[in-house]
Amino acid sequence: MTEFSWHENVSLNRQSVSRRRFLYGASAVAAAGATNFRDVMSVQAGELRKQGRAMILLFMQGGPSQFETFDPKPGTENGGPTTAISTAAAGIQIAEGWEKTAQQMNDIAIIRSMTTKEGEHQRAAYQMHTGYIPSGSVKHPSLGSCIAKEIAVSERELPSVVTIGDRGNLGSGAGFLGVDYEPFQVSGRSVGTVPDNVGPIVGEKRFTRRQGLLDKLEGEFAARGGETVVNNHRRIYDKSAKLVLSPMTKTFDFGLETAETKERYGNSEFGKGCLLARRLIEAGVTFVEVRLGSWDTHKEVFDGVKGLASKCDPALSALITDLKDRGLLDTTLIMWTGEFGRTPKINPNTGRDHWPRNFNALLAGGGIKGGQVIGETAKDGMGIVHDPVNIPDLFSTICTSLDVNPAKENMSPIGRPLKIVDGGKPVAKLFS
Amino acid sequence: MIRPVIHVAFVFVQIAVLAVFSAADEKQGASSAKSISAKDVASEVDRQILAELQKTGVTVAERCNDEDFLRRVSLDITGQLPSPSEVIAFRQNKDAGKRAALIEKLVDSSEFGLNWARYWRDVIYFRATEQRSRFNQEEFTAWMAEQWNKGTGWNSTVTAMLTASGNVEEHPETALIFAQGAHAEDVAAEACRVFLGIQLQCANCHDHPSDIWKREQFHQLAAYFPRMAERREMKGMPEYEIVSVNTESRQGDFMRENPEMFVQMFDRDNDLKLSKKELEAGPKRIGRRIASRMKDGQSDEMQNEGMNAEKMAAGRIPAKALDRLFAFGDSNKDELLTVEEIKSAQPPVNRRRGSTEHHMVDLKNPNSLGDVIDPKFFVSGETLPRGKSDEERRTAVAKSFTAPENPWFARAIVNRVWAEMLGEGFYMPVDDIGPTREARYPAVLDLICQNFVANGMNPKWLVRTIASTEAYQRKIQSRPASENELPFASATPVPLRSDVVFNSLVQVFGITEDEMNGRTVRAADKKEKKDKPRTFLQSPRFLFDTLFGIDPSVPKDDVMGNIPQSLMMMNSRVFRARMSAGKNTQLSKILGEHKDNRDALNELYLLVLAREPSAEELKICADYIAEVKDRPEAFEDMMWSLLNSSEFVSRR
Repeated sequence: MTEFSWHENVSLNRQSVSRRRFLYGASAVAAAGATNFRDVMSVQAGELRKQGRAMILLFMQGGPSQFETFDPKPGTENGGPTTAISTAAAGIQIAEGWEKTAQQMNDIAIIRSMTTKEGEHQRAAYQMHTGYIPSGSVKHPSLGSCIAKEIAVSERELPSVVTIGDRGNLGSGAGFLGVDYEPFQVSGRSVGTVPDNVGPIVGEKRFTRRQGLLDKLEGEFAARGGETVVNNHRRIYDKSAKLVLSPMTKTFDFGLETAETKERYGNSEFGKGCLLARRLIEAGVTFVEVRLGSWDTHKEVFDGVKGLASKCDPALSALITDLKDRGLLDTTLIMWTGEFGRTPKINPNTGRDHWPRNFNALLAGGGIKGGQVIGETAKDGMGIVHDPVNIPDLFSTICTSLDVNPAKENMSPIGRPLKIVDGGKPVAKLFS
Repeated sequence: MIRPVIHVAFVFVQIAVLAVFSAADEKQGASSAKSISAKDVASEVDRQILAELQKTGVTVAERCNDEDFLRRVSLDITGQLPSPSEVIAFRQNKDAGKRAALIEKLVDSSEFGLNWARYWRDVIYFRATEQRSRFNQEEFTAWMAEQWNKGTGWNSTVTAMLTASGNVEEHPETALIFAQGAHAEDVAAEACRVFLGIQLQCANCHDHPSDIWKREQFHQLAAYFPRMAERREMKGMPEYEIVSVNTESRQGDFMRENPEMFVQMFDRDNDLKLSKKELEAGPKRIGRRIASRMKDGQSDEMQNEGMNAEKMAAGRIPAKALDRLFAFGDSNKDELLTVEEIKSAQPPVNRRRGSTEHHMVDLKNPNSLGDVIDPKFFVSGETLPRGKSDEERRTAVAKSFTAPENPWFARAIVNRVWAEMLGEGFYMPVDDIGPTREARYPAVLDLICQNFVANGMNPKWLVRTIASTEAYQRKIQSRPASENELPFASATPVPLRSDVVFNSLVQVFGITEDEMNGRTVRAADKKEKKDKPRTFLQSPRFLFDTLFGIDPSVPKDDVMGNIPQSLMMMNSRVFRARMSAGKNTQLSKILGEHKDNRDALNELYLLVLAREPSAEELKICADYIAEVKDRPEAFEDMMWSLLNSSEFVSRR
């Protein structure tokens, strides 16, 4: 099957399928043995579906407690004082503090049977971003960068991968895929305004004039043997200048958003990050990650999560509502998760410690069938009863939603091919 | 006279053969090369490279001019841009030996060690899997700078790094181990990649696809490192230590490694199963007997195990550990543990830390611990028996790594330094030079390696030799289109490392490093401020590095720059203030001192690019001044253009 051989050669355009691409696709299919026009059209329809696919990752750094979020065990010793609330989806209960999210449950699927072996923050966060465990010898690209490489439009003014919030490197970079897929970092405090260095500080006219001078002066070094370096440099400066002068930078600026909208997202830094994520997706960005820290609740887990939920609940709910209203939810996958879960047993500090054996994740949009729960944990929360989902399974599911081939290989610098996802099977129930 | 080197093709199936041949080579080299100076080696290197190039008919670029040489050699050796007065003085110097004298001066300056220490800092920390290891990077840089400035043999430096332990700030030579969280497999893979240029870690999970290494050989290397651990102590700020774990302080490891004996020791009702009660009651008499019998055993290995068994027998298992043991181990939930259940139990998350022997995971049963593997060095075949202490193991592996008989050790560093200075190495990439890769100019590489060994593996000698070659001093040319073409016919313009660009900016702006964050540092504060490593993580140099840092092991061709970098160079408010013609800046000084535009331009070019402008550039700038009509504004734009030029961030 040559289905993927021609994807590799052509950059996909999220806006339109060009005539040339259409013909190229047609000839590739013909070469593969498909002879009639309907086959060609069905392949092309697959391409059309792929257009506009995007993903938002809401990453809960530190490892959120499953008991205080989406797998409560009220009335049990391990469950603690946390009570459960009903949701819009019949039969599904989640923890108190998530009332707004509960109303959206028909669009949300909960995976309660996530499992990993990594119980250390960095290693687990790296795995949750790349699908691989860390290794000094290969810098694995994040799933977001891999996805951008497959489905983002190359000639856009905005970067295709954006990370909002904490700067820490959690394996969220482009790794060996290189600078084209490196996430553009927006620090939490600058959310809502055009980020540092993006605006031309001398005025557009002078900026353009300077650029013209730079371009002329580069000629000398190019002529003296620096041609390759100059050409690379020009390419990057052209892209940067395009961004600086682009009206698209207004996407970062909340000037025109109403107070009511900001209120709906909750006025926290994380809430603003989610609003920015929505605006970026609308503007055509492929992958946005918004981070919320402080989930490492070794002490006072109940109070801690209460505070975090008050930031997360309105933001998540508003994000789903807004994407739905704009007709973008079907093509945008939202995932909420952390790097691992927390111990069923409550420790002497009223906290919970690291627990990679079972934790939960939420998926919404992107063709995911909401209103269902995948997997189940034991009554006391000690382990998974059925349908365990490991990280490769989760990543394969994401790839299915975004129409990306998880077995696609990227070549590492030492000539070792690495699949986007190594092993794993998509969770079929999420799409039925 | 230098003996012609017999080049041995690198396609050995038998590694032992390779080691023997190279050892013979090196011995001969050592005896005959003792008296050979850097200069003589450099000219022999040039003779051989030129002979090869002439065979292919490639045009060899001529010698670069003095301006280019001064900038190149200053940036490469010390990481510093020459000042305008240095440029003028060097050009006016009529001494025929001025280039050699300059190389001597630069290699003897303290910036030499610092520049290369920062290179090694990037090599090590760029691949850190333990992000907290950044804590000791400044101490590491200072330590490595001292080694390079003192001319410490590379073998001694690497030995210190492989055998390091203790508090990571007091013992910064722990850097590589700390950066890999003291995990045996990760440390083995990194040490091998960085110090031997061999990528063995693919063999972690399978036999190497394109090399000759077997999976077992990788694990035999990792078996030198299982007894290290990273320990954290909270004293207000966390402190980290690399420690040796030589005794089975953890009962869990003993249990997993000796499940039959473990069951026997506690099994009071002789049903070959252990209940919680039996475990709580402690070991039976027979358990103690087993322990003492083992202790009397002859071999070290038996003695060691015996000690542990005795310790085990004397102790009780805490209630918490018992609960965990049953939660993880009792897979059929019958409240009884069998030998099989213990064997198949998933090891706890952190088990890889401080296990006293290395295990090779059985890939068909990844949850099991796997077989114990004994240390064996894949190049020479040297071995170490099981049961040796951490100190013995790491001393042994350091000796094997750095032995003159191990050809990869000298090759890796010589190739790295050459590639860093010329933009391209004998092997590319520099961390994948294994036995199935082919070197360009293999005889030249061997020649330098032999003499490097004969000169005590002194890095100063190496840098001096490379800088003295004509191959290093050629004019730049764009890279040939064909990959197959022989390199070194011309110099290659490549991007400068983050620290070097940062140094250049500091110098061009005429400010201190701390002022690069946009604030003016008062003299009083300067005194008070000590170079604390943790403040380094907030320093302008580090912040700049987070944006401009490049992994020095990646071929320069693959380094492209990125958008956030160019945005910073174009639009940073800090830089803009430093490029202003109006305030107390370098530009305002130039404009004040030189009323003639041509003179001012000359000064500006000398300051930013360490050369004078060409006639064409003068014309472009004159036209621009005429177009803008505002002298200060036009000069600000010209300075902006020079700082944003590819030349400013490249080696030329």
